[in-house]
Amino acid sequence: MSSDHLSTTFAALADPTRRAILARLSSGETSVTELAAPFEMTTPAITKHLKVLERAGLITRSRQAQWRPCQLNATPLHAVADFVEQYRQFWEQSFDRLDDYLKTLQKSRIRQTPKIKSTKEKNNGRKKR
Amino acid sequence: MDAKNASASAGQEFVISRVFSAPREMVWRAWTDREELMKWFGPKGCTIPHAALDLRPGGTFHYAMRTPDGREMWGKWTFREIVAPEKLVLISSFSDAQGGITRHPMSASWPLETLSTTTFEEHDGKTTLTIRWSPWNASELERTTFAGAHGSMQQGWGGTFEQLAAYLARA
Repeated sequence: MSSDHLSTTFAALADPTRRAILARLSSGETSVTELAAPFEMTTPAITKHLKVLERAGLITRSRQAQWRPCQLNATPLHAVADFVEQYRQFWEQSFDRLDDYLKTLQKSRIRQTPKIKSTKEKNNGRKKR
Repeated sequence: MDAKNASASAGQEFVISRVFSAPREMVWRAWTDREELMKWFGPKGCTIPHAALDLRPGGTFHYAMRTPDGREMWGKWTFREIVAPEKLVLISSFSDAQGGITRHPMSASWPLETLSTTTFEEHDGKTTLTIRWSPWNASELERTTFAGAHGSMQQGWGGTFEQLAAYLARA
């Protein structure tokens, strides 16, 4: 997917009403009137949001029936999920490695501690040059 | 803060947190010492062929990361606030070999710079590390892009997210 597609999808998803519309559509196709009902918005206001979603390829509107049902198209959402997942993976995997590194450090510190003490004891018995 | 601003700022932050079974001085050193940082920074299988660290306010960490499939990516941190061993505030960006700031390879409208605040909190010998990112010096479009990606995936779907996640898993 090109970078422009991804940016268009991000812009469409930045609005909470549009996200709610997509969430509603995930349980099946529906009409504009039905979509508008829970939002206390006018039909033209909802239609505006639908146009943004349609341009981003997140929904399709059938031309076959007169009530033009809206359907969710999940393909761009997968791209967004992958994008965010990359960030998460970068840090989750870094944290896994950091965790291993810290454990190794602590183990070697436990092993070294008695040695350090015995060196100090020896030094205490000597005069400084 | 009213509800509208609260939800707006929630959408503009991306947060990751982890608890480590180590004292925070040790975790802090692992983050701020070049040799130690190179032992863990980056996903599994990645190497750091270049790393220049200048730890002071205004100083930078400029690095190259090579992925297991051979791709190379440059990044840059510019330190703003260094409070050992509690807090590290920096500006993070994609970069090139010369240290210039570059766009995100996947999204042209992604913020050029993000503010990253890392906190180290110690409780009972364990350290909670939290990183928060938000757009920095960003245009309206860049902020919208960031909110659309991280905000929508992290918090913005609210109670409906699980339903959508289930749908994504099926679709």
